[in-house]
Amino acid sequence: MPFFLADVLEVGVPTIDEWVVWAILASPIVSWALIALYLRKIPAVAGYVTIAAVGLSAVLSVIVLFNVMDADGGTVVFTHEWFTAGSLEVNFGARIDGLSAIMLVVVTSVSFLVQIFSQGYMEGDKGYGRYYAHMSLFTASMLGLVLADNLFMLFVFWELVGLCSYLLIGFWFHKPSAAAAAKKAFIVTRIGDLGLLAAVLLIWAEGGTFQIDEIHQLALTGALSSTVITWFTLGLFAGAAGKSAQFPLHVWLPDAMEGPTPVSALIHAATMVAAGVYLMGRFFPVLELTTDAQGVVAWIGALTALIAATIAVVQTDFKRVLAYSTISQLGYMMLALGVFGYVAALFHLMTHAFFKALLFLGSGSVNHATNTFDMRKMGGLRTAMPFTFWTFVIGSLSLAGIFPLAGFWSKDEILHDAWDENLALWAIAAFVAFLTAFYMFRAVFLTFFGEYKGGEPVDHHDEESHFHGDPAHPHESGWVMRLPLIILAVPAIAAGWVNMAGMTDWFGRMVAGALPEPELHAVSFDWWIAGSSTVIALAGIGTAWAIYYRGVIASSTLRDAFYPLAAIFENKYFLDRLYEDFFARTVLQRWWNRLLELIDVYIVDGIVNGAGTVSRGLSSRLGVLQNGQVQAYGLGLVVGVVILVAAVFTANPL
Amino acid sequence: MNALDVVAPQLALLVTAGILLVLEAMLPGKRRWLPYVALMGLAVSAAWTTSWVIRDDYQTIFDGTFSLDQYSVFFYYVFAGITALVVLSSIDWVNTAGRGKSEYYALLLVSTAGLMFLAGARDLITIFVALELSSIPQYILAGWAKDRRSSEAGLKYLILGAISSAILLYGMTLLFGFTGETVLPEIGAALAADDGANRALIVVAMTMIIAGFGFKLAIVPFQMWVPDVYQGAPTPITAYLSVGSKAAAFAVVIRVFFEAFGADFVSNDWANIFAVLAAITMTLGNVLALVQTNIKRMLGYSSVAQAGTILIGLAAVSASGQEFTLAANAVLFFLAAYAFTNLGAFAAIIAITHRIGSDEIADFAGMWRRAPILAAVLAFCLVSLTGIPPTAGFWAKLYVFYAGVQADLVWLVVIGVLNTTISAFYYLGVVRHMFLGEAEEMSPVRVSPGIGVSVAVTAAGVLIIGVFPGPVLDAANEAVQVFAGG
Repeated sequence: MPFFLADVLEVGVPTIDEWVVWAILASPIVSWALIALYLRKIPAVAGYVTIAAVGLSAVLSVIVLFNVMDADGGTVVFTHEWFTAGSLEVNFGARIDGLSAIMLVVVTSVSFLVQIFSQGYMEGDKGYGRYYAHMSLFTASMLGLVLADNLFMLFVFWELVGLCSYLLIGFWFHKPSAAAAAKKAFIVTRIGDLGLLAAVLLIWAEGGTFQIDEIHQLALTGALSSTVITWFTLGLFAGAAGKSAQFPLHVWLPDAMEGPTPVSALIHAATMVAAGVYLMGRFFPVLELTTDAQGVVAWIGALTALIAATIAVVQTDFKRVLAYSTISQLGYMMLALGVFGYVAALFHLMTHAFFKALLFLGSGSVNHATNTFDMRKMGGLRTAMPFTFWTFVIGSLSLAGIFPLAGFWSKDEILHDAWDENLALWAIAAFVAFLTAFYMFRAVFLTFFGEYKGGEPVDHHDEESHFHGDPAHPHESGWVMRLPLIILAVPAIAAGWVNMAGMTDWFGRMVAGALPEPELHAVSFDWWIAGSSTVIALAGIGTAWAIYYRGVIASSTLRDAFYPLAAIFENKYFLDRLYEDFFARTVLQRWWNRLLELIDVYIVDGIVNGAGTVSRGLSSRLGVLQNGQVQAYGLGLVVGVVILVAAVFTANPL
Repeated sequence: MNALDVVAPQLALLVTAGILLVLEAMLPGKRRWLPYVALMGLAVSAAWTTSWVIRDDYQTIFDGTFSLDQYSVFFYYVFAGITALVVLSSIDWVNTAGRGKSEYYALLLVSTAGLMFLAGARDLITIFVALELSSIPQYILAGWAKDRRSSEAGLKYLILGAISSAILLYGMTLLFGFTGETVLPEIGAALAADDGANRALIVVAMTMIIAGFGFKLAIVPFQMWVPDVYQGAPTPITAYLSVGSKAAAFAVVIRVFFEAFGADFVSNDWANIFAVLAAITMTLGNVLALVQTNIKRMLGYSSVAQAGTILIGLAAVSASGQEFTLAANAVLFFLAAYAFTNLGAFAAIIAITHRIGSDEIADFAGMWRRAPILAAVLAFCLVSLTGIPPTAGFWAKLYVFYAGVQADLVWLVVIGVLNTTISAFYYLGVVRHMFLGEAEEMSPVRVSPGIGVSVAVTAAGVLIIGVFPGPVLDAANEAVQVFAGG
């Protein structure tokens, strides 16, 4: 174990009333039911009901967090028998510990602010009521996933999260691109879910339990063989890779931009994509027992971080820059998990949730003013939208990892863990840090500096468009949208202070307290890591400044100089083409259809024709029947019996 | 009159069928009450079954040829439930079809009585008679509509059914010829005493019995009739065939295997045969379902694929030897969950097609706006058929897959899971049409009370089993314990 300086922690048991925990989950479910059943037609009320419900969950989550803090992150489980049948026992229970308590606060607070922001952003949309119903259910599903005390319940809520994201990404389903994106998200994440399902089946067969703490114990005591542990972990990771958009299953996330922007904020920050990292964090005690799986996790994470960051560099769509940035940062978190960076990964998950929500809502605010996400049509918005500008810069600085903002602390801890474990991984992570700073400030300079290029004119014929302003004269968004930005800017600056290397370790103690053997791998402040990463981030920002603000060198010249690379990045490493054109169109549709055609022509028709000839005489008498099919079927029955008998004899030597 | 008491659940149905016929002849009017008489008959049957559960006095009658045990009781409830839902879903259709209303319901009840006899039959002759009792009304009902397609469906089903009955009967005579017995446990005893000299003959007999039931199970290579008959038959009858006769056939196969062939023959060799059949059946069913444009044909192939999934359970039963109860439990649970789900889907389809006069999937476009509740229930049932939580179908698949894993049939489970993914394409394709497509016409689809109850009950059932599968799993477990003793 590389845990030098490991502090063994003394943890207590949180003294929280059970109803408080369930109320957190029940509140958005009640709001969903109310809206779905009664309030769909009264949109104004639907919004307030959702905000109130999620707000209540947020307040209760904070209460839970304080209770868990008193217990130093210790665990309490409220579990009830869901049902038993034969050897199968499934519980419905909540597991409250340092990890889930923090996640609850992050999910509910981000969701709360997103719901408020949506009031402004979705104003006048036809599906306003439906929107809030889905949002309530989405939040509830994520909360259920976080609370789950067993893998089974987690899986059920995991699927619900997937279903809700399908509904929300495809929210504007009249747009073909939105419908396609929703389908893509659903299918791609379900490919990963097969892995998770396999893990569920495997642990059921081999461990006989779904309870998370029991699985931890089985793994720690050696009751599970190392092969089982490795496959179980890889199965979990396949699921996590789907939800958390890891290479090669990351392709759905950028397209998921087709949903309303607040939905993107929620998906990217606190809910869907967080689920994968959370799952791996939950099962970190199992993951750290298997170096094989850890290597896979770390390298897939690093690869994802690198690939996504390079693609983000060449995007012209504001939201897509953020989308690839999310993928890249999720890769960072997975990398951390693969190098024993349990605390670092979850720490980054939390800080990222805040600054990425801020950035997405900022992009929504910009879209609200300009009616476009195309950065080439923006520019100069600094003066027109000061609140959006300053909060966006704060978010970008935090993501770039500038001292002393939130992102600095969490990213440094990941770099630190990578440095301890594997220099190659560290080098990739450091390079990605440079790219991150570069593409974020490229976006900042293109959007907020220079001349305003007019936005996208409003198409007044488009009845579905709910754009009200005048893109030619952008203006700051209203307070209902400004307020969430300002509030989110606070944790984007300060959320990292809860775990400053060498100074504070509140966060580390909390999440480490959730482990079956609570111990803290204290990270000391390392001037070399901190210094180098700051220099790298500043270099990235400086490069962006030189190219996109000062125009030292034209970006097109740069593009030509790196042509082959730029082409690869612009085409997203040709992965979409590979999946859609090759697998989906060529292999699945064309080859497969051809195969079916062949079967149809040569096998089915052959039998039918052959049989038809044999029994044409009978056929003409039974004129009702077509083409002698009935005779063919009858023959088929008899042939089937013969084949079956032959097969039985082959398999069953006498 | 003990024996009459034992078969009272079936007798109740047969008597009701008779009453229906007589009443229609005697009473004038539009006879809108006919389906409710049928429902009352089913209620009496279920109540009588319940009285046996309360009495807890299970017994075997007619010299051991018929058994009333927890296993048959489980299926009594399933069949009574299925038929009640089918009756409710039929009301509109029968009123429109116009001819012989009472005969329609009477035939349905007679067929159900046949299915119930099948569930309890422990004797080759009883099995055969019960099978024909359930099948002949089905042949007639499949051809009930006045159009050409329906007649064709009825005739095809009749001819092929007759061939399969012949194959089954041939298998049975072989078995009888060798053992000299028709009662299953006695056959089992005779086989156990055998020195292996006649094993080849017995294997042929067994294979033919499987093939005979394979027709009803709709497994490959006995599935060819399915799409034609499913498409041509009146939709409520399609629904009935897809769940009722399939469940009964599985019920008999499991009983025959346990009571007649026993652990000696239930071996890995059989497991492999079932496993290969399962893999082929699932894959072929799903692949062919993918390319269908007619929703009834699609559900026909889908039911083939689902039968393949159930075969995983049967393979697991064979592979697990003495530990079979888990796998058998999975099969029974699957059958019950599948019955609810498929009936729910069909009930919604009946209501929709009745209004729009088409069963092409493309015509379901935008149905969400025309019939939000029906579309939602249909979508929910299709989600359940795919096997996504929180639905009954999810548990059904999960449990069968788990049984497969426990029986060391991991490769088969992998194929099963992959097939689940394939099936998502066509199941959710319908959902996509309904929710994302544009309707050409916007007039709302009216839901009649009968269909309304049927849709509500099935949707609630799918959801409740999906959230609390425990009671049904327990009941299924109790049912299969019948075989654990012997």
